Amino acid sequence: MAGSLQTDTQLSADVLLDDSRLPKVPEPGAMVIFGASGDLTARKLIPALYDLATQRRLPMKFAVVGVSRTQMSHDEFRKKLRKTLNEQRAGKVRDSVWESFCGSVFYLPGDTKKAETYQELKDFLKRLDGERGTRGNRAFYLASSPTLFPAVVEKLGEAGMNRGENGGWARLVIEKPFGRDLESAKELNTGIRRYFEETQIYRIDHYLGKETVQNIMALRFSNSVFEPLWSQHYVDHVQITVAEDIGIGTRGAFYEEAGALRDIVQNHLMQVLCLTAMEPPVAFDSEGVREEKVKVLKSVRRIPRDKVGEFAVRGQYTSGWVWGEEVSGYREEKNVAPDSTTDTYVALKLFIDNWRWAGVPFYVRAGKRLPKRVTEIAIQFKRTPHAPFAGAENLEPNILVVRVQPEEGVSLKIGAKVPGSGFRIRSVNMDLLYGTAFLEEVPDAYQRLLLDLMLGDPTLFIRADETESAWDILDPVISSWAESEKVAFYPAGSWGPAESEELVARDGREWRRP
Amino acid sequence: MAAAVIGESRSAPEGGAMSVEQIERGLARLRMNEDGSLGARASVLNLIVVTDEESAPEIAQVVSSLSGHYPCRAIIMISDPDEERSKLDVSLSAFCSLRHGIPGGTGNQICAEQITIHAEGPPAAHLESLAGPLLLPDLPVFLWYPNGRMPRPAESDGMAALADRLILDSGGVDDSEAFMRGVAHLSASGSPEVGDLQWAALSPWRSLVADLFAPPERAGELGKIKRVEVLYRPVGESRVLLFVGWLASALGWRPESAVCGERRGREFKFSGPSGEVTATLSPDSPDARLRRVRILSEECSYQVSRHRELSDVSSTVMRGDELLAERTVQLGSFDSGVLVGEELRYRGRDEVYEASLQMTAEMLDL
Repeated sequence: MAGSLQTDTQLSADVLLDDSRLPKVPEPGAMVIFGASGDLTARKLIPALYDLATQRRLPMKFAVVGVSRTQMSHDEFRKKLRKTLNEQRAGKVRDSVWESFCGSVFYLPGDTKKAETYQELKDFLKRLDGERGTRGNRAFYLASSPTLFPAVVEKLGEAGMNRGENGGWARLVIEKPFGRDLESAKELNTGIRRYFEETQIYRIDHYLGKETVQNIMALRFSNSVFEPLWSQHYVDHVQITVAEDIGIGTRGAFYEEAGALRDIVQNHLMQVLCLTAMEPPVAFDSEGVREEKVKVLKSVRRIPRDKVGEFAVRGQYTSGWVWGEEVSGYREEKNVAPDSTTDTYVALKLFIDNWRWAGVPFYVRAGKRLPKRVTEIAIQFKRTPHAPFAGAENLEPNILVVRVQPEEGVSLKIGAKVPGSGFRIRSVNMDLLYGTAFLEEVPDAYQRLLLDLMLGDPTLFIRADETESAWDILDPVISSWAESEKVAFYPAGSWGPAESEELVARDGREWRRP
Repeated sequence: MAAAVIGESRSAPEGGAMSVEQIERGLARLRMNEDGSLGARASVLNLIVVTDEESAPEIAQVVSSLSGHYPCRAIIMISDPDEERSKLDVSLSAFCSLRHGIPGGTGNQICAEQITIHAEGPPAAHLESLAGPLLLPDLPVFLWYPNGRMPRPAESDGMAALADRLILDSGGVDDSEAFMRGVAHLSASGSPEVGDLQWAALSPWRSLVADLFAPPERAGELGKIKRVEVLYRPVGESRVLLFVGWLASALGWRPESAVCGERRGREFKFSGPSGEVTATLSPDSPDARLRRVRILSEECSYQVSRHRELSDVSSTVMRGDELLAERTVQLGSFDSGVLVGEELRYRGRDEVYEASLQMTAEMLDL
């Protein structure tokens, strides 16, 4: 605390840092990136670390070590990273700052399946501890192909690198997908936990690093006007939409294996569902938030395998028009089988069997080549029990829409009297764009998550039981679809197949047009 | 996603002496688009600025630049109480920004409002009666006195009662000593909370200096500091005094003596945990208000120094001739808009600032 007189000569740096105006800076440490020659490293991780460094958010004693099979020197690796950074930020990378940053970036070529790579890495990290003061703290970031995850974890464990050196910490970061189904997710988690404790594991879904996604919690838990209405007492149903206007681009081979259910629904959409439906956490910390999210996933009613058709729709786009451009169908895309049944669109009807949400259907959908990119949660309220006006049977229900992207905000549809004689009611949309109220530059999701990782805060990372519960919900759908050829087609640029409309229409409802 | 922001300044044709109702109606009209739709108003705070005729255009520009990041109702008060004749002149403008580049975006406009009140003669001595009725309810009130202005005693009373936070700038005065003492006196009264742009400008410097001692093996060095040398430009004296005040209060140094050195430099002596500590302040920097900080312990020297281009800053740790650590980062901007923005972000008492200011006042009393 400032102002207090210190008599001890052993002062802690906290006397200077204990100040809400000064940023919290992580302890010294090294970040090892496996799969460092890949796109993720150059396009996301290094720019995020560079930004953190320039903003003085990284410790002075920090190092990045890239590991990959490609033969490269430290300098060649740095040049490659600089080239991508230059492409992203034309003319905005300052030479002096980059030179200072890249002096902490190293590269180690090696086969991640071989034990000697890890011995070499271990020796190198020890050297960095001595030369650069990284103090035995290490974060291992698995940015390589998911098929290599188990091998890398095992080799790290066997080399004794699952513990930091000399009392330091060791953390493991895993990128999605966290398995392909429940069984493989469990297998992956079990394999990792043979060497790493759950508290050391940071499963990253960059969606949670987005300010807008975090704002769902801010909206719900810092505004008392919404929360009392947020239950089966007043809510008729909920619709969650994660729509993309883009196709699969060059990722045909990947998408054939993944599909929308694995690529979007299992992680991003389930996370949005959790944040929408969860109870207020006791505290905004890792256990408080994650515990409540897991409770939601555990409460989601499992779909019986023989009834998947009633609750789930698998769609695939055919050719069509998106934003004035004619685009080809999924089966015509590069590296896609001409008879592919891969889902580019998913619609599900889910129920959350708990006190708050009993009987309220959650209609969720995600898809590619839809008319526009939008992520939103629409809470449709029950109609008023009685309306004393003529034509009251046509009164529309209130809808509260929480828009996550692109224009973050809240929109409330309310009934209002049309001016004039008589008493005609008409719905008015009230928009509150709380996101655009601030023109702050929003930090990149990776920037936020990498900083949290170095600070040791796993709140915005995903726990093992979250991934497993999410897979558990989707497993009957996955296995049912694997045995069926049935796909509902929709033209690119539409809001999905007719079967999806029917899924909602059967309950006397309809999808909103976002 | 970084969206392009297009701003449009709109000014009301009317002006002169307006009533509160006329002002509110005029502002609503400014938010009206050509197609009849109404631009949304987003406000997170009220900002009152008290300035003079000469500085007003520059201040208006700073306030406009703030409106995107800190959507607010800004009330710029150009006050001249020494005029004999009473005069009240009001002009209205709005800065409406539109986000582009978002597919499917609806292009909604967000408008921030600016009210400029020119008050001369007796009304200028009662600014609170003009500002008060125009404040948006339920939002905090920041009162900014730019360019080294201090609230006049009478003004201070009325205006301070309106404000939750007072923003001053000790950088724009000739007699920084008197000003700092005045601020310390204001701050000690506790209400409203006081902030100083020169303190806001120190945040990156304080963060960089703290980082030098963050590794556990160096923390012990904090108790062994013998000497602090600061190189600055004469106009930056208050910033430098606050910096030394911060170090002294945080590290428990007791001020013992002060000497005015050559070319208006200063030297302070403190008794520290392990003996005497000397702080030398040299106004020899030709450009940067704060150019270099060097801290010497028994074994090591720690330095934070701005580059020649000023936008970058290097930190080094040396033991004799051996370089133990080095890095270069961006220092950030010290534009008025950025510094005021940092103050607008801050709510509540800043105890570290108050302690540093109090220590600075003690140093100046030696």
